[in-house]
Amino acid sequence: MAVPPRHATMQSISNGSTAQGTDRPQTQQTQQAQLSQQSPGLRVPSNRKTIYDRHLNRSRNAELSRASFAFLFGEMVTYAQRRVTGIQDLEKRLNEQGYPLGLRLLDLLFYRSTSTSSSALSSSSTSSSPPNRPLRIITLLHLIHGPLWRLLFNRAADALEHSVSPDTPNEYMITDNDPMVNTYISAPRDMSMLNCAAYVAGIIEGVCDGCGFETKVSAHNQPTELWPSRTVFLVRFGDPVMEREKVLERAGVK
Amino acid sequence: MSSTKTSRIGEEIWKTRVDKVNAELVTLTYGTIVAQLCQDYDSNYQDVNKQLDKMGYNIGMRLIEEFLAKSGVGRCANFRETADMIAKVGFKIFLNVTPTVTNWTSDNTQFSLIFEDNPLADFVELPDDGRAQDELWFSNILCGVLRGSLEMVSY
Amino acid sequence: MSYYFTILSPTDTPLFNIAFGTSKGGGDGIARFRFPETAQYMNQFIIHSSLDILEEAQWTNGGMYLKHIDTYPPAAAYITAFLTPSGARFLLLHQPPHLPSSTSISSGLGSSSLLGTAGSTTRASSSSIAANPTSPQTEEAVRQFMNEVYESYVKTAMSPFYKQGMEIKSPVFRTRVTAAGKKWL
Repeated sequence: MAVPPRHATMQSISNGSTAQGTDRPQTQQTQQAQLSQQSPGLRVPSNRKTIYDRHLNRSRNAELSRASFAFLFGEMVTYAQRRVTGIQDLEKRLNEQGYPLGLRLLDLLFYRSTSTSSSALSSSSTSSSPPNRPLRIITLLHLIHGPLWRLLFNRAADALEHSVSPDTPNEYMITDNDPMVNTYISAPRDMSMLNCAAYVAGIIEGVCDGCGFETKVSAHNQPTELWPSRTVFLVRFGDPVMEREKVLERAGVK
Repeated sequence: MSSTKTSRIGEEIWKTRVDKVNAELVTLTYGTIVAQLCQDYDSNYQDVNKQLDKMGYNIGMRLIEEFLAKSGVGRCANFRETADMIAKVGFKIFLNVTPTVTNWTSDNTQFSLIFEDNPLADFVELPDDGRAQDELWFSNILCGVLRGSLEMVSY
Repeated sequence: MSYYFTILSPTDTPLFNIAFGTSKGGGDGIARFRFPETAQYMNQFIIHSSLDILEEAQWTNGGMYLKHIDTYPPAAAYITAFLTPSGARFLLLHQPPHLPSSTSISSGLGSSSLLGTAGSTTRASSSSIAANPTSPQTEEAVRQFMNEVYESYVKTAMSPFYKQGMEIKSPVFRTRVTAAGKKWL
């Protein structure tokens, strides 16, 4: 594995004096397995590194266990479930949690395509022209279908389609035949229609909104015999977006 | 079991038997969870820490099965071996890091795990409210995971 | 040259701002706006009045760096813009120093000591690349500055505790922006 070692992120680890577990019921277990850090406070990481000292490409190709993701995501869904009234509410909450992630990933994606490999931006590398912000719907959707999906799931999405109905020209569909977020998640019995990919729908919504395309995105189960957890992300652009699209079309903006 | 052998087992399993995902998806998802808890608990970090521990505990109880199935290791002879197994196999296959085992007490019932590197905390800057840096244990879920999984193998 | 740099959220909430002067050609990095008493207010006013133009440029030019987008002649202020893909706006106002000949004319407007210093900086910095706000060299220097700030901005925005539209208070971020200004402008 050619993953560069990441710098110590000490601020994240429990404080030594408190992780002893003296105020906890499970003293025995926590004592044995304490995660401790000798420094008294966590205000300044012991190595004096901040987020600004960490290169944004450091974890670019790093991998973690799929099971770890499933465990964390499962807990996220379980926790969210306790605070909601039904499926729709739960999906809305997952969507809202994905949304800010979309904004972050958008900036990260563009940062990575502007900065050439590991060289810092400051090295006067002006020859490589940075990618453009998407101005048109189709450019935006290609960004999601390709680069965003690859960043998240190491592969492109399976399909990108435009609604054929003349009543809904603002609707587009992105299909994932086997969404990773649904792999280990078994929906609770009373929520068999739940699609946890609502989290991913939120990410997509964040990306669209960030780029200035007001959108609603929802995840729908559309199983086939071959792909039982096939999911379609329905992307519905708002009227102002469609209006602007016409203007840009006429102006010849690509 | 010797310490180097344990390391080799961890490396081997990570390379050949672990399904992988993009690390940043995991990192960012964990960050989302903690930020959401802070919001829900109105920045009462003691409660956030407790909730993270609880989530970790739930995970630990199920994770141990995955661990045993993947690693195929048998019972550890003593607590020192257990510590080694946690650091070099457990953390290796689930987080691709190997914390250092240290600070043993003289009676061999306590040790510390020191992380040079913690993928859960990449990109994270704690809230600047004068409390979070002292009170929020960002990666406390790991304590819960250890508690849950060790309890299942009757520690 | 004096600079006023600001970051606005997609809904125009100010997230960060800083004033500084050129460090090129012997400059000391201290901002000396022409009308020091009202500079803070005027700079914000000028920047906000350029937002309409920015919003138009945003949908005709897909680049992140939009270069010089607006000029406000009464204050000889030039606005250069950079748009992050997630909609944050980086705006840099530059104001060239008084020409030596004009120092005496305007000396009645501010305290004499301030203007005296400004006059001497002027002579030193008028030969620097930043003396002409629309020259290709300046556009390039500003690009480098913006790119460097963008990198720090992405690092800020990646933290799970940072929410879009939050003021950026990190002193480290400020230090980074200051350093980028010193390096390029």
